[in-house]
Amino acid sequence: MNERPSILDGLDPEGRVRESLLETLGIGRTELLLAALAGAATWTAGHASHAAGAGLTENDTRILRFDLQLEYLQATMYTQALRLGHLRPAVRDAARVVGAHEWAHAHALKTILGRRAVPPGFFDYHGVTEDERAFLRTAVAFEDLTAALLKYQAIRLDSRAVLAAAISLHSVEARHAAWLRRIAGVLPTLTAFDRPASQAKMRDLILSTHFVAEDPTTGARRAPGFTG
Amino acid sequence: MRNRRPVIAAVLTAATMVSAAALAVVALHGRGAPAAGDSAPGGTRMAHLSADAAALAPPAKPAFTVATPRPLRLSSRVSMWAPVILPTVARARPRAHAHIVARISTRTPEGTTNILLALGVRRDAMHRLWVHVRLPILPTNTTGWVRRTALGGYRFVRTRLVVDLHALEATLYQGRKALFHAPVGVGAIGTATPVGRFYIRDRLTRYASPFYGPIAFGTSARSPVLTDWPAGGYIGIHGTNEPKLIPGRISHGCIRLRNADIRRLATLMPIGTPVAIESGR
Repeated sequence: MNERPSILDGLDPEGRVRESLLETLGIGRTELLLAALAGAATWTAGHASHAAGAGLTENDTRILRFDLQLEYLQATMYTQALRLGHLRPAVRDAARVVGAHEWAHAHALKTILGRRAVPPGFFDYHGVTEDERAFLRTAVAFEDLTAALLKYQAIRLDSRAVLAAAISLHSVEARHAAWLRRIAGVLPTLTAFDRPASQAKMRDLILSTHFVAEDPTTGARRAPGFTG
Repeated sequence: MRNRRPVIAAVLTAATMVSAAALAVVALHGRGAPAAGDSAPGGTRMAHLSADAAALAPPAKPAFTVATPRPLRLSSRVSMWAPVILPTVARARPRAHAHIVARISTRTPEGTTNILLALGVRRDAMHRLWVHVRLPILPTNTTGWVRRTALGGYRFVRTRLVVDLHALEATLYQGRKALFHAPVGVGAIGTATPVGRFYIRDRLTRYASPFYGPIAFGTSARSPVLTDWPAGGYIGIHGTNEPKLIPGRISHGCIRLRNADIRRLATLMPIGTPVAIESGR
């Protein structure tokens, strides 16, 4: 059991997606309840201790936490693709710049969230980062959707100060999308007016990719059996 | 090609002249003749716009700003590991029918997730992805190829641990910078610590065994001598209840540190860190 809130907690706070997933996997309600109790205790403790913080409202905190998770997901993908993807120079140059931007966004969001920030999480891109075409398609989709998501969130933010910061990210994400679309051979823009994408829709999409993985258990509390 | 040049030049000259004429007409029209229905002179219109701009609400100071980052640079001193999520086999080559080198389970003898240090990736003729991995088996330094689908997501580490069996010292590096340095106890004659390339697999804590000190790291190294050891004869890096014996050649192959040193190492060395055990001669 992890001792910190999982990235899934932020993406799926009500646990609906997780519950349906567990049911699909055939995990019984007792196990689910026990796991949920343990998880909820950790999660609630984390939230309670952060209730008073940097002056963000709960609403704005929820939005920024989600964005931080999304930034981590994207930033890690660019880093991995650069290491594994055997990218063409044009794709590599874009990934180096866009990836650095996403890490910078993540750093800024982490800073403002303070102790309410979610940890980076553990991602499994299922071969996407080793394949240039798959990586490029995924990157375009994420950049498009991130711009659409920020549009959805902007009008829901309580704080004008947070809004001022968020819109400075929004235009950058739109430029990322246009840049990567051009490299992918897709028109940079199709419509005169963009539609927003809801946070719930984005969450479902992220969960459907199975990119967000649970941390492997690399620690244990048991006596070693090493040779000594 | 030569005959076309004068034609292209003539066309460009004509196009430039037409454009210049059009710009002149637009400029004259804009200065002297207001558009129909627009009675306000240009100066008044600008004054309105200036007044509108001045009457705007004051700006909100952004809650956060993002510094201009430098493009990502990839250091060659980064290692990569991945958990084994499906039982699988490691093959000698990245081919479906290549010789099987080892069977890989999803768990270590300590009950933790089995992980493999990834050395590279390659596609086969069927476009299937294979990962070249370092294997926790004998003989030491054995590598093999496993299907990407058997592994979870990659993790990256910037650290590497070097154990010098001659100097009886362990040094943890990040890049070229030494983060940690301490004397160690290593395998005695007859149960020598194996020389080679390995990695950290897991970390055990809060057990009731003073012999191993407060923390024990499991490595992918196996004793070539104690092959019938109950848990497989894996080599650990751990604390001790006999600190006076360090440094020395005292163990069954494990690398022992004083308890204060293993505690400090545990704050610096992540899982997946490559371990080079060198003879030092």
